[in-house]
Amino acid sequence: MPNIYRFSNLIHALDESKGLTESGYTFLDRDQQETFMSWDTLRQEAMRRAAHFRKYGLNKGDRLAMVVPDGEDFVPTFLAAVWAGLVPVPMYPPLSLGKLDSYLDTFVAICSRAEPLYLVTPGKLQQVLWSGAAKVKSLKGIITTEELKEPAPAGASQDPAQVTDDDLCFLQFTSGSTSTPKGVEVTHGSLRANAWAIMRDGLQSEEGRDRGVSWLPLYHDMGLIGFVISPLMHRIPVTFIPTMSFVRGANIWLETISRHKGTITFAPNFAYALAVKRAKPERMKEWDLSQMRVFGCGAEPINAQVMRTFVDTFKSCGLKPEALLPCYGMAEATLAISFIGLDQTLSTDVIDSDRYQTDHAAEAVHVDSKKKLEFVCCGKTFPDHEVGVFDEKGTRLKDRQVGELWVKGPSVCRGYYKDPQTTERTFGGGWLRTGDLGYLVDGNVYVSGRKKDLIIVNGRNYDPQRIEWIVDDLPEVRKGSSVAFSRPGASSEELVVVVETRTQNPDALKERVSQAVTEQMQLTVADVVLCEVGSLPKTSSGKLQRAKTRQQYLDGTVGKEGTRTLGGNAEKVTLAKHVALSLLGRGKKRAQRLVEHSLSIRSMGDAVSKLKLASEYMQSRMKRARR
Amino acid sequence: MAQVNIIHMFEQAAHEVSGKKLTGLTKDTVIAKLGLDSVAIMELVAHFEEKLNVRLPDEDLAKVQTIADLAQVVKNRAPKGTEVTW
Repeated sequence: MPNIYRFSNLIHALDESKGLTESGYTFLDRDQQETFMSWDTLRQEAMRRAAHFRKYGLNKGDRLAMVVPDGEDFVPTFLAAVWAGLVPVPMYPPLSLGKLDSYLDTFVAICSRAEPLYLVTPGKLQQVLWSGAAKVKSLKGIITTEELKEPAPAGASQDPAQVTDDDLCFLQFTSGSTSTPKGVEVTHGSLRANAWAIMRDGLQSEEGRDRGVSWLPLYHDMGLIGFVISPLMHRIPVTFIPTMSFVRGANIWLETISRHKGTITFAPNFAYALAVKRAKPERMKEWDLSQMRVFGCGAEPINAQVMRTFVDTFKSCGLKPEALLPCYGMAEATLAISFIGLDQTLSTDVIDSDRYQTDHAAEAVHVDSKKKLEFVCCGKTFPDHEVGVFDEKGTRLKDRQVGELWVKGPSVCRGYYKDPQTTERTFGGGWLRTGDLGYLVDGNVYVSGRKKDLIIVNGRNYDPQRIEWIVDDLPEVRKGSSVAFSRPGASSEELVVVVETRTQNPDALKERVSQAVTEQMQLTVADVVLCEVGSLPKTSSGKLQRAKTRQQYLDGTVGKEGTRTLGGNAEKVTLAKHVALSLLGRGKKRAQRLVEHSLSIRSMGDAVSKLKLASEYMQSRMKRARR
Repeated sequence: MAQVNIIHMFEQAAHEVSGKKLTGLTKDTVIAKLGLDSVAIMELVAHFEEKLNVRLPDEDLAKVQTIADLAQVVKNRAPKGTEVTW
């Protein structure tokens, strides 16, 4: 262990917390009542609860499933499991008005991979989870969080477990519903390295000056590592807002930052959009955000416009533009990979969209260019870490060449739990293959898309295959003839489904597709496109190509490639564009979007349908703008 | 005695949080089928809580499937004497 580190691991940091009663974590409940737990209290809670776990016969290395929604229960329980050398497996709680069946399916899938011996959950959730838990063979029983609050059982050890850097600290499962859940193995060593990179290299946090404020779910890497583990290892106090309180009323986020004098917070892109959407001038008057050093933004693609609107909206509250901190990271790298500098403001790179799509090159163009793409700068990686861009053959690419982002360094996790094949594919050869596409400019990371076809909506990951399976099951859709992918949206990515069909009733089928996906995935479908059988791009083995279909969709050529040429249509398109502009293009920005959209549908059927599409598009945009 | 019409309130809330105009809801309408994403659903719950001045516990809401189920949760939490209809 290099001697720069203050603590060798999380257990060590807890062990050294004796007598530290002034600083620690503050938990708000839904009624805004505060519970304070000092570093010393957290240590004592961890010891007591660890004794309970040991009484159940749990030993070092045993997995422990956790479904604990309340932060003040979650944090000491998680720390206790780590203290006892167990491997906690945090999972998200059942959603409100959700489909409990599909939640329980995911629960069972994760447990079947992690093979926990026990499940910890509050008594009130026990009944909800029971039918899922009964299907998990490895589970011996349920431990309630209420039990853990009882006095430590006599005869059970409260001593810290002896761990090495290579020992597992916990398993981080991906946040959304994916068909085969993968558990990232976070070791004590990778955790310490990333906690240091975040708190020292990235944020230059200082005890006595900084305070974190977070509403992020604690079963998710950004909430758990970013706000529970890293701050504890660097003695930065944190105020925790219940995630549900934020989603139910976004104002609580900035209000709490103001009231608790927070200096550091992180959230995905959608939260910044939601904060703006829900902000009320009369409440904003009371807010002071001038002490804020870091508004970190990561976990899903960052929309530059959302960030700019956020800064504009809250500058009257004292928000400094340089507080905004776009970053890049993923669970496989423990959490963080790169941050922009603390003194830097949001910056973007505007590149030529044609060159990007045809030559995989990021050629800078003027902001006013018609064919442009804009990507947010996510900064440089940390000392001792390296980010490289590689092509399909594994050749390292130069600056401004687009390829897959690979990461190396002490923060990279060991692999996926009990999944050697996927581990080799992702972590093999000394580099973590992120699956993200992007490029570098002087060491600055720009993320431009994804190699693996993951769909990220509101910070949650969805496997396109699962959506396609749902659609393929519908009448009038044959197996293997639908494609799901995402398109950029205003506040988050949006889901698009393209289906090959011979249906006579397209509207009804579109409706059924939307309904089936929403019902089973709790996900809104932004667009359903139906096209002729045989018109979508396929691989040599006859499978539909997602990436290519997506590109055709964005280009407006989906389902039409090779079947039609522009020719005489071009004039009609120009006419449609002009009419649409004069009809609907009021604001400059809206007009620009409309032109882009008209361009993107240049090869579709006749001019009338283009106009209709453009007008529908405008209406949805305007509706969004009004909200 | 206070009266609460769940369907009416639901339509109002859905319109407010997502801009969606829902029509033809019945007590047997399955909420998950309405095309609202999970964030919108949470905001919708907040709307109910604010309007009725009650707290709807997550563990009760997790089991809700239909409008009638939601009415039952509201009924359990609303002040005594509130008449919950759909």
